[in-house]
Amino acid sequence: MGHAMRCSMSIAAMLVCFFGSAPAQSQPSVAPIPKECAASADGALSSVPLPNVANALKERKKLKILAIGGTSASLRGPVSGGHYAIVERFLEQTFKGLDVEIVHRGVSGELAVDAAERIKYEVALSDADLVLWQLGTADALARVPIDDFKSSVSDTILWLKARNIDVILVGVRYARVLARDPKYQEIRKTLQDIAKERNVLRVTRYEAEEALTKVRQNREMEMVEITEAGYGCIAEFIARAIVAGLFVKERPPGAVAPQIPVPAPAPKN
Amino acid sequence: MPRAANAVDFWRGFALVTIFINHIPAIWYERLTYKNLSFSDSAELFVFLAGWSLRHVVGRPEDPLPLRQLVFRLGGRAMTLYVAHMAIVMIAIAMLALSARVFENPLLLEWHNAAAVFSNPADTHIGLAILSHQLGYFDILPLYVVLMLVAPGIAVLHRRAPNWLLPLSLLLYLVTLIFKLTIPTWPTEGQWFFNPLAWQLIFVLGFTMSRERGPGAWVKSNIDRIRLIAIPVVVVAAVMVWLRIWPDPTKMPEPKLLFIAGKTFVTPIRLIQFLALVAAFSAAFPLIQRYMPKLVDSLAMMGRNSLYVFCAGSLLSLLGQILRFHFEGNFVVDTLIVGVGIALLIAIAWLAEWRDRLKKGAV
Repeated sequence: MGHAMRCSMSIAAMLVCFFGSAPAQSQPSVAPIPKECAASADGALSSVPLPNVANALKERKKLKILAIGGTSASLRGPVSGGHYAIVERFLEQTFKGLDVEIVHRGVSGELAVDAAERIKYEVALSDADLVLWQLGTADALARVPIDDFKSSVSDTILWLKARNIDVILVGVRYARVLARDPKYQEIRKTLQDIAKERNVLRVTRYEAEEALTKVRQNREMEMVEITEAGYGCIAEFIARAIVAGLFVKERPPGAVAPQIPVPAPAPKN
Repeated sequence: MPRAANAVDFWRGFALVTIFINHIPAIWYERLTYKNLSFSDSAELFVFLAGWSLRHVVGRPEDPLPLRQLVFRLGGRAMTLYVAHMAIVMIAIAMLALSARVFENPLLLEWHNAAAVFSNPADTHIGLAILSHQLGYFDILPLYVVLMLVAPGIAVLHRRAPNWLLPLSLLLYLVTLIFKLTIPTWPTEGQWFFNPLAWQLIFVLGFTMSRERGPGAWVKSNIDRIRLIAIPVVVVAAVMVWLRIWPDPTKMPEPKLLFIAGKTFVTPIRLIQFLALVAAFSAAFPLIQRYMPKLVDSLAMMGRNSLYVFCAGSLLSLLGQILRFHFEGNFVVDTLIVGVGIALLIAIAWLAEWRDRLKKGAV
């Protein structure tokens, strides 16, 4: 059995068994994680409920996603329509008849404090059901004080929740040299804590890219290619995290988010 | 001899220094810039004064520049701005690449929208050349280039039908906000951070307010009464920004852009507060000149050489960001960056004027 196929079955089984009772929608069959992303998927996926996305699905069959934050995930690289197009296509294929619209409003290098102000404005203009917020890397590079970062992000999550808008945080990027940078790691840790405290879904991009880098280095790939592949895999993870989030029950604040299980890499031939 | 310090050059120099500081995000001195007490920031001031300066090119109503000469001069100015923008963008990309090499940090290649330059160079270089791809904090000059490209149209319309210019500009602004018209970016997906369809109004306002006839003349003759309204607007806005009192944008009626504060569309809240700020502080220059003549001379010199100073400031801001990252930004590092940066900006303005004097044989 192929590695990707086993990933697919694992996530589908997880959706059925792991989360217990699900909302009214019938649980969809989930496309497999591409095999090039499987090695970096472990730990990158956690599941947190997305009740407002579920409502949008049930009531309107239309989902509006606002993509915002400080990195360029909307690159139009080898993937037609940019990497978020992967999310759009995945959701539309998973839920037949669903219309997904992604509004790209990322500003590369933008700090969380500035994005926090802009999110409110962009949410009002787009009527988004879900915000995909890429954050942390620009703040860490700009050496933003941790307290300022924490309060901006926490307050904005509360603001969004109060207006029935779900949010997924897409965390800091990985670079080997930054593994030894305490301030960078502090931002990463703060983001983990915020996600836990506020019970929001976080895609652990750092860990995923770290794994991907190790795998790719064996194949002597250029850093740019690794970055491209990283964006693609993160989009795959986000898409599955959204699907998983539709079938999760609320958990008490502070409780650890269940991980979406990913099978061990296939043995090399 | 360069012209004597005047209010326009002074405020332009002030805007340039403020932009230099604000373009080093999280630097300690950022908290001292006026954006912390204002809806608008130095970008509005810069564009307004760019429009105001257009009058030097257009000439006086009684002694207008011939039309063909006017179009060539403005077109030439747009080309100069474009070339300057391309030069600093290429240098900025090289700075990011060098930093990534020196610090062995590939993430620096992706900072400020540079990622596409390295991951998709063919499309992105086309995008850079046609201004559809812009680096973060290097996005004001593309707006300025577009405004200068349409400036001949503005000047001709003002000459032929002066009463139509401002209403037409306002109409375009309102249509842009009501229908959320944007200029898309390419190859990365998004929109221009400074939407020229909306920002043109600030430019046109700057130009019309500078004129001795029409709305400019009316404003000048009624400025004292206007200040009576403007000062409370400035104070209320400052309190709102300081205390973070914001009306909930999701609760605003349609068309929402008319009622919420946003920079991309320079929405009416920002625009009105900015005009109030201009009216309130237009009286301050003589006072500042009287008590701080050295400051006025330095800022006015920067204002007179604004393109050089702006370009150098953009690159120094990026260098400041890289240094803050490497030295883990603290008060001492921030003080050195701002102090040395401003000193260099003054030196560049001085060098530009010294070179002009040399050309004219005055040295």
